[in-house]
Amino acid sequence: MASVRAASRLLSRRAISNIKAVPAAAVQNSRNFHFSIYGKKNNAKVSDDISTQYPVVDHEFDAVVVGAGGAGLRAAFGLSEAGFNTACVTKLFPTRSHTVAAQGGINAALGNMEDDDWRWHFYDTVKGSDWLGDQDAIHYMTEQAPAAVVELENFGMPFSRTEDGKIYQRAFGGQSLKYGKGGQAHRCCCVADRTGHSLLHTLYGRSLRYDTSYFVEYFALDLLMEDGQCKGVIALCMEDGSIHRFRSQNTVIATGGYGRTYFSCTSAHTSTGDGNAMVTRAGLPCQDLEFVQFHPTGIYGAGCLITEGCRGEGGILINSEGERFMERYAPNAKDLASRDVVSRSMTIEIREGRGVGPEKDHVYLQLHHLPPQQLAARLPGISETAMIFAGVDVTKEPIPVLPTVHYNMGGIPTNYKGQVIDYTDGKDKVVPGLYACGEAACASVHGANRLGANSLLDLVVFGRACALTIASEHKPGEKLSPLKPNAGEESVANMDKLRFASGSLRTSEIRLNMQKTMQNHAAVFRTGSVLKEGCDKMDDIYQTLDQIKTFDRGIVWNTDLVESLELQNLMLNAVQTIHSAEQRKESRGAHAREDFKVRVDEFDYSKPLQGQEKKPFDQHWRKHTLSYVDRKTGKVTLKYRPVIDTSLDEEDCAHVPPAIRSY
Amino acid sequence: MRHSKLQQQVLVLYRQFLRAAQNKPGFIPRIRDEFRENARIKKTDVMHIEYLFRRGQRQLEQLRDANTKQLGSFSKPKGSG
Repeated sequence: MASVRAASRLLSRRAISNIKAVPAAAVQNSRNFHFSIYGKKNNAKVSDDISTQYPVVDHEFDAVVVGAGGAGLRAAFGLSEAGFNTACVTKLFPTRSHTVAAQGGINAALGNMEDDDWRWHFYDTVKGSDWLGDQDAIHYMTEQAPAAVVELENFGMPFSRTEDGKIYQRAFGGQSLKYGKGGQAHRCCCVADRTGHSLLHTLYGRSLRYDTSYFVEYFALDLLMEDGQCKGVIALCMEDGSIHRFRSQNTVIATGGYGRTYFSCTSAHTSTGDGNAMVTRAGLPCQDLEFVQFHPTGIYGAGCLITEGCRGEGGILINSEGERFMERYAPNAKDLASRDVVSRSMTIEIREGRGVGPEKDHVYLQLHHLPPQQLAARLPGISETAMIFAGVDVTKEPIPVLPTVHYNMGGIPTNYKGQVIDYTDGKDKVVPGLYACGEAACASVHGANRLGANSLLDLVVFGRACALTIASEHKPGEKLSPLKPNAGEESVANMDKLRFASGSLRTSEIRLNMQKTMQNHAAVFRTGSVLKEGCDKMDDIYQTLDQIKTFDRGIVWNTDLVESLELQNLMLNAVQTIHSAEQRKESRGAHAREDFKVRVDEFDYSKPLQGQEKKPFDQHWRKHTLSYVDRKTGKVTLKYRPVIDTSLDEEDCAHVPPAIRSY
Repeated sequence: MRHSKLQQQVLVLYRQFLRAAQNKPGFIPRIRDEFRENARIKKTDVMHIEYLFRRGQRQLEQLRDANTKQLGSFSKPKGSG
């Protein structure tokens, strides 16, 4: 901005002080910045050598939430309700977060359509996660589900209703009664087919009652970590280019997923995995990033989402022969099998030549056999989406669909209370001051595959859990631990480097390379050699970040800079995803390997356990992947962490021992 | 020479900023610099002035907030990086 030049001219006539001089030994290429209180004259020395200056506003809060989607808003106003002075830092206006695009619904065992029990929901979720989910977190989520939905209803969320005024619950993928033996369960509470929109607007409206300070259109750059403790966040105000440091004892990350690492995805352009990248740069691990969910029904070409609720209302998938092919792959659940099963079935059908269209590369989702009134009442949103993006009238023609990247099961590892953990010396160790919830976190409730309508539930339950954990362990108005005056210097140096980058490759070119590589090498079906090739390509593309070229040198609304920062974040997510996928030599949940088609657990659960010897930890794959990246070299290191197999209360709800997963 | 309405508003904003920045280190020099720099904008460039004025009001609100503590700066010396 113009003031920067003037300020530097003016300041050159004043003395600049270094409150804390950076020791010469610590100076690296990025550490050329000096921090000072603006305009203080401590030295008499007149310095004429300031070239760029970034004003840094320091804020102090009791808690900072990064991200204002479903989970972020719930955590923010949960904390405000508990009396904490809370800041919510978000790069988007809250109602523009990607939660708004969720269509299907939110699962809860309310029992409005038939008798239901949250323990059956618990069983379904554990089975859906292919036994990679932590059963204590799943127990917590499914037990809290009815209370969470009733709370939302009390906030004013306009759920669809049954004839007698109760919340309408529809069938959804992977949900069953009586531990899988009682047929399809109807436990997905919905608002027609725009549940996420209603949820987000309800939460936003509710949040206005509390005195959370919103910092909208502030792009969070990095965590302020010191001595392994998180002491806050540093962010860039996009409106005027100033840097802001938010100091607090409690930081909650709720930044969402990273669908944009793939060429074709249902995610918004803003789903760039910023939280995962911030945590990676802080030297902490990300968990299970290789598990990327391909939603069976994304519109062919456009990639827009057609909710699973269509199949819940009776829609069916058909191939070129007009056959309802899911009957062959999942005889019981058919079209409402778990998403990874359906995606794989669709891909196999296409591969075997029974795809539709001129290139036989997709399948059809048929809805025109359903009564038009039902379509209009329960599925109005997708009727319009199909018309706009595929030119199809759902009451007459089927919709062309293809499996599309939709959700990231992996993310920042947390325990069931929402605290971020690191795994050292064979034990989970809580990172003080840091929490995570929502799609950015990996609690892990979804394990290797997420059931539909569990994500919105995950948001509200764990958003609230983070707020409760912070409230139970800390008090409002707690004294802040000291922070170095030049904290966040590296982030500012990186941002400055990007702002003046003059290499040879545009941001958009590098991004497209990354997206195409991920789409071609780490798709629904993965093979060892293709993955290895992908890993090498991704490593090369990561190195090309040094040759990035940006055009806008300004600091006010510099979207070129913000997109480049987002690209750096995406790249960290992408390399971890593909390296973790290449290393995992089994097929589990959404990670399907052609060369390792079976699930490799500590016992072979397809045979009776009697007489089997338990495989040691390093010889089976029922474990979480923890990935670290060395930011300078781009090298990915992998570690493994055991799955938590015990529920929170074995008497109330026994854990589910692993078994073969079939629908 | 009498100030125009817009000029009076800017002066009022400047006074409000200086008052709000009393007990927060580092803000006053920056406020002065920013206002002096923008004083160069031509009187006739009303759109620009009004935009900066609106932005200034938002920044003032943030300055008044009890949680805003101080203003520092990261400076890069010339000829490095």
